[in-house]
Amino acid sequence: MKFETSPIGDGIAAVRGVGRLNMVSAPALRETVAVALAAGRTRIVIDLSGVDFVDSSGLGALIGCLKSARQLGGDLRIAQPTAQVEMVLQLSNLDRVLKSYGSTEEAYSD
Amino acid sequence: MIEGACVLRLTTPPANVNDVHDFIVAELDRHPDLNAMDRMVFLTALVELATNVIQHADTGFGVTCTFSLRVGHDRIEAELSDTAEDGGIKLVAREMPADELAESGRGIALIQALVDDLRYERVGDRNLWSITKNTARPGLTDVSAVS
Repeated sequence: MKFETSPIGDGIAAVRGVGRLNMVSAPALRETVAVALAAGRTRIVIDLSGVDFVDSSGLGALIGCLKSARQLGGDLRIAQPTAQVEMVLQLSNLDRVLKSYGSTEEAYSD
Repeated sequence: MIEGACVLRLTTPPANVNDVHDFIVAELDRHPDLNAMDRMVFLTALVELATNVIQHADTGFGVTCTFSLRVGHDRIEAELSDTAEDGGIKLVAREMPADELAESGRGIALIQALVDDLRYERVGDRNLWSITKNTARPGLTDVSAVS
């Protein structure tokens, strides 16, 4: 799975991929977010509308990216999780850590 | 081996968890009457188990796994047998990591939250995992058993 990054305003990067976020694709997500952070975009929103499946490897990547963003004074939020992703987030109690929004634009509208 | 099951054998690398995922989806697609939630839950659990084995069992020489999957009238069951060394696995009830920012350690707890039964045993020189998810399909006959 390839991830694409789109800038939103100043300092925000929306990252989107289509497919399965698993042990195969998780390293690419970490790398994509690392590039955005290195470019100074420390507020990350992961658009999950095209991710139809996540496993614990994918969760680990999301948490790793969240920690990296916070270390730089930023944050990581998620937008439009699909049903399977929502289920896995709830069962792993990560819905309390990874805040979900209705769109990438809404994620940092506060 | 589960009687009447469909079987996938693979060695990773070069195969990876996407091959397992594709196999499970293809098998579940043969049962369009399966409840969407049962399907999603079982797919998540079995892929998670495969991920767990592939991640932790590979000692640098790869690991060979055999998956068998059977969709019955009131349950979906699968077995995963792998050639990894005896890791001294103790399968007790797991909880999610206390550190909510932990990047690993959720796999087995996630499987246990998803399925009705998860078992592990060492059989000869192989690890044998089995999972069962009860399904909601009242009134249907066991099509797998007669096909």
